[in-house]
Amino acid sequence: MRALSIASTGMLAQQTNVEVIANNLANMNTTGFKMSRAEFQDLLYQNIQSPGAQTSDTGTYAASGIQIGAGVRTAAIYRVTTQGDLKSTSNPYDVAIQGAGFFRIQQADGTDAYTRAGNFGLSPEGQLVTQDGLLVQPGIAIPQNTLSVQINAQGQVMATVAGNATPQTVGQLELTRFPNEAGLNAIGGNLLLETPSSGAPQAGVPGSVGYGTIQQGFLETANVNSVDEITALITAQRAYEMNSKVVSAADQMLQNTARLGS
Amino acid sequence: MGAAQVRASDQKGSEDAMDNSLLVSLSQQLASYRAMDVIANNIANAATPGFKRETAKFEEYVMRLQPGEGQRGLQSVSFVKDAGILRDTSQGTLEKTGAPFDIAIAGNGYFAVQTPAGMRYTRDGHFSLDAAGQIVTSDGHIVQGDGGAITITPDDGDIQIAPDGTVSGKTGQLARLRVVEFANDRALMKEGANLYATDQAANTVAAPTLRQGMLESSRMIEVMRAYEATATLSKSHEDLKRQAIEKLGRMPA
Repeated sequence: MRALSIASTGMLAQQTNVEVIANNLANMNTTGFKMSRAEFQDLLYQNIQSPGAQTSDTGTYAASGIQIGAGVRTAAIYRVTTQGDLKSTSNPYDVAIQGAGFFRIQQADGTDAYTRAGNFGLSPEGQLVTQDGLLVQPGIAIPQNTLSVQINAQGQVMATVAGNATPQTVGQLELTRFPNEAGLNAIGGNLLLETPSSGAPQAGVPGSVGYGTIQQGFLETANVNSVDEITALITAQRAYEMNSKVVSAADQMLQNTARLGS
Repeated sequence: MGAAQVRASDQKGSEDAMDNSLLVSLSQQLASYRAMDVIANNIANAATPGFKRETAKFEEYVMRLQPGEGQRGLQSVSFVKDAGILRDTSQGTLEKTGAPFDIAIAGNGYFAVQTPAGMRYTRDGHFSLDAAGQIVTSDGHIVQGDGGAITITPDDGDIQIAPDGTVSGKTGQLARLRVVEFANDRALMKEGANLYATDQAANTVAAPTLRQGMLESSRMIEVMRAYEATATLSKSHEDLKRQAIEKLGRMPA
């Protein structure tokens, strides 16, 4: 009786599914968040009669074999890297990426991390930093006495300093892209790390071929669609329920068998 | 019903009619267990893209018995025996995912995937890119185009996959996804991980219908209905069996 263990793999898979959906919903208002989806695969099959087995020596073949599956497993939890909507915030240090690419952030230990959350601010030294105070790379320092800051679509940062009507270019935002964005490792805090499956980072100027453009005063919202998530949640819940019914049905069958002798 | 009344004792299980009924019900129970395993696997894979529902098929195995005293002609006992597990290869519903490398096949065909064990086939069109920019499955096996692996560079921008499998980017047409079909779908051997193996020749489908940003679901609703039908059936069957056991149990030996 494999039904018990098969159904338990189904329950585990649906549990993972619900967890992924819960995380998507919990991050509905997280800037730059990309929703995830759980992907499943069937487990190994036990061949009782291989498909294509001969049923006689005159060359007749079984129309189909007897292969019993062992259930399901979670193959991947992948990020869906579609563009999120842009939301106007009017904050001059809020920048959204329209298109492909990530901002490069220097972590406290000096290594690079990547993010699409462009809700930046200034450090006490006037450096452009994330909400956690991590430096945006390449470093951009906003001079003191700055009246206003403009960031154009190509990522040029221009500051208008008191006493000088002409804005000065104080830095250039860079974007980094990867051959496989879905292969980046999410470490929380809206940060992603390079992995062997993401491929090597390629830095470029916003607006050049293959890179997105920068929108100042906007933030990229999460690409979570609440209707999709709730539908997925209901489906997952139903699937979980069905698997647990299989467990109880299998249990009853075994009980009946046990009762036969008495 | 004594053993002496049955002449032929060279056939296994034929000495005693009581034994036969026990063995017949045992064969039925083993068959139910197998059917249950198959159903459990269907339900466990309700969320597996491209999964095809399976049904266990059983056949009658007729055993001839020599007639007992006062009986005429050959008696027969029917056992239940596995005949095969049929895969329902009908189209699953297409569900929108929005991921650019999720590709569903509407209609016949399989994607060809190069694995270390050789060429395998799948209807699970959840693909992504690997570090080298090649289109791969979620296990990293390379999805085959008409000229082998399909490599995409970030310069290609947004990738469009046309219904006929043509993959194109900003710079124009890059490759065409290979979609194949087989003379006998049902003889494909499942390997797990949504892959099928076969010795049959793979014929390229000339005009496949692919849908980008969608995945083929495992026909959840149908599975659910099948489950409910089976559950009702096994419930009534169970009641029947319980009654029979209770009644038979009360009979003096």
